[in-house]
Amino acid sequence: MMDELETKALLARYGIPVNEGRAARSAEEAAEGARHIGFPVVVKVLSDKIAHKSDLGLVVLNVCNPDGVRDAYEDIMEKARGPDPEARVAVEAMADPGVEVIVGAKRDPQFGPTVLFGLGGIFVEVFKDVSIRVAPVDRAMALDMMKEVKGFAILKGFRGKKGVDLEALAGIIVSTSRLMMEEDRVLELDMNPVMAYEEGAVAVDARALLKG
Amino acid sequence: MDGGIMAEGSLDPLLKPKSIAVIGASREPSKWGYKVFHNIVSNGYKGKAYPVNPSASEIDGHECYPGVGAIPGDVDLAIIIVPAAAVLKVVDDCGAKNVRALCVITAGFGEVGPEGAALEEELKEKASSYHMRMLGPNTMGFLNNSISLNASIVPKMPPKGEISFITQSGALGLSLVDWAIGSSLGMSCVVSTGNKADVAEADLLDFFEHDEHTWTIAMYIEGLKDGRRFIEAAKKVKKAKLAIKAGASQAGARAAASHTGSLAGSDMVYDAAFRQCGVVRVEGVEEMFDAAMALSTQPRAMGNRVAIISNGGGAAIMASDACERRGMSVPPLTKHTKAGIARLLPAFASVKNPIDTVAKSDYDIYREALKVLLDDKDIDCIMVIYVHAGFTSAAEPAKAVIDTLLEKYPKPVVACWMGGKEASAVAGMFRKNRVPYYPVPERAAEALRSLITYNEYLREAKKR
Repeated sequence: MMDELETKALLARYGIPVNEGRAARSAEEAAEGARHIGFPVVVKVLSDKIAHKSDLGLVVLNVCNPDGVRDAYEDIMEKARGPDPEARVAVEAMADPGVEVIVGAKRDPQFGPTVLFGLGGIFVEVFKDVSIRVAPVDRAMALDMMKEVKGFAILKGFRGKKGVDLEALAGIIVSTSRLMMEEDRVLELDMNPVMAYEEGAVAVDARALLKG
Repeated sequence: MDGGIMAEGSLDPLLKPKSIAVIGASREPSKWGYKVFHNIVSNGYKGKAYPVNPSASEIDGHECYPGVGAIPGDVDLAIIIVPAAAVLKVVDDCGAKNVRALCVITAGFGEVGPEGAALEEELKEKASSYHMRMLGPNTMGFLNNSISLNASIVPKMPPKGEISFITQSGALGLSLVDWAIGSSLGMSCVVSTGNKADVAEADLLDFFEHDEHTWTIAMYIEGLKDGRRFIEAAKKVKKAKLAIKAGASQAGARAAASHTGSLAGSDMVYDAAFRQCGVVRVEGVEEMFDAAMALSTQPRAMGNRVAIISNGGGAAIMASDACERRGMSVPPLTKHTKAGIARLLPAFASVKNPIDTVAKSDYDIYREALKVLLDDKDIDCIMVIYVHAGFTSAAEPAKAVIDTLLEKYPKPVVACWMGGKEASAVAGMFRKNRVPYYPVPERAAEALRSLITYNEYLREAKKR
């Protein structure tokens, strides 16, 4: 598995917006990183072995000062050393709240690269409300994918609530498709969540499974 | 890559051969070697058929040859039914004789393990080296109604029709042929793909797209070897395509490391792929042939607005529910249409969609009402229902439908005749006149859905 920062670097190469993040091996390094990025920040474990970091309490959101970052670092490392002795910490810009969606990809043994889209949170966890296409996916197909999910009304806006930037999301889906067509080594890719806003969208968590 | 190397050669010598050698033909009626040869020569095939067997002088009244090389004329297709260990040698003989295509019925290849798979690979390479396209191995053969050729182990041919069927399961193919005969469903070709060492679905899709006798392609698929090649081939096919995809994939075996991994299961990917290349996915055999019957006989469904007419209220409501559940709309009728139908019915009957003729099923009512609906620009498809209550004739309204459609046929019409023997007695009438007929409204609604889905695909494809 590729850790979050490596995955995001790969995403950025394909033009997918990601939030800024820095790796840290000590509490001091973490606090220093946070000062560079600007508060508030999120502090989370950085590991290529730990998959469900929120479930293990390895993500601390909305940290507003250097002491908070140091505490979060110690807390996370204490819990993470067991499952992964080489675990580090990532300090990232805290993304504004938005509509959470998932964009993913998988190399299917029969069809090759496939791309997935869904609404985040319970929509994907409980309802499995997702749509899939075999890559390559163009802009029109990406828009179709979004319209296909049952929760589309939430993206489009309803009862006076403004919708999100569908073009920005379509851009991320198309770039994901291109990444999968070009990067043979990537078997699976998750951007969960991608925060979608009235303008723009950003992948705030990501990981990739590599061949071999 | 199934057939990647040889993908360029035409399948004409295989599926439309002018001459056939059956290598491993037998005089023993219980053996496949006898059955296949017998089926070729006893179903009206006009080409030449040569039995090959070194230890027989004559089979079924035909002179038998000791080897394919001893045959005096050209051989387009060799059908091979010899033990697996002897197949490679036979293919060499065929190569020397300039045979153009192979159909390898012999089993004992990839389906039996690694040794068989290695033998299959050798077979594939050998056939390719002689530029021969190959069906199988482990196929139950094929039949092509347009040239009255039954090169399979099924004893009887189905009636002629426009549906061609590609099946990965040989036995299922055979039972379907039998079923098609029983329900007088017309078929053009039936091809059992076997192990797909060379010829796979993609090649057959291309062949059927150019085959004037095929209007609708039905497929039974357990797994594709090369999904991308399938998508590319299917995208080029503008004829209606239907598929049953059965079986859980081995792909699911790997534990998923990501959300996407666990969500994008093989079945969902097949759904997406079929949708992207315009293959209408159906769940079962009955549904597939119900849909195929509608797709091969009906004009395009330009939208999803359905009008339902029935002599029984209950069936009308069930039909209406069945349509709406499948995403169709059963809209209110226009004033003009309402008036046109109201004059046919007793004064107390209220005219709405679904239309209830309040137990009337006279020829004139069905005929005139259908005409009005065919003319209504706000209706895309029509379902005509007759419920047999015993005191009316099932044939009378059926004749009304058939006669009306002989005059004009601008939109799809499906018939649903509910009842026992008397209702099903009209089946033959409907089939002969190309009106798709179903015994229950849900099946008629499902057939309409396939017409609408197919039209949506054609529209999408046009946009690209």
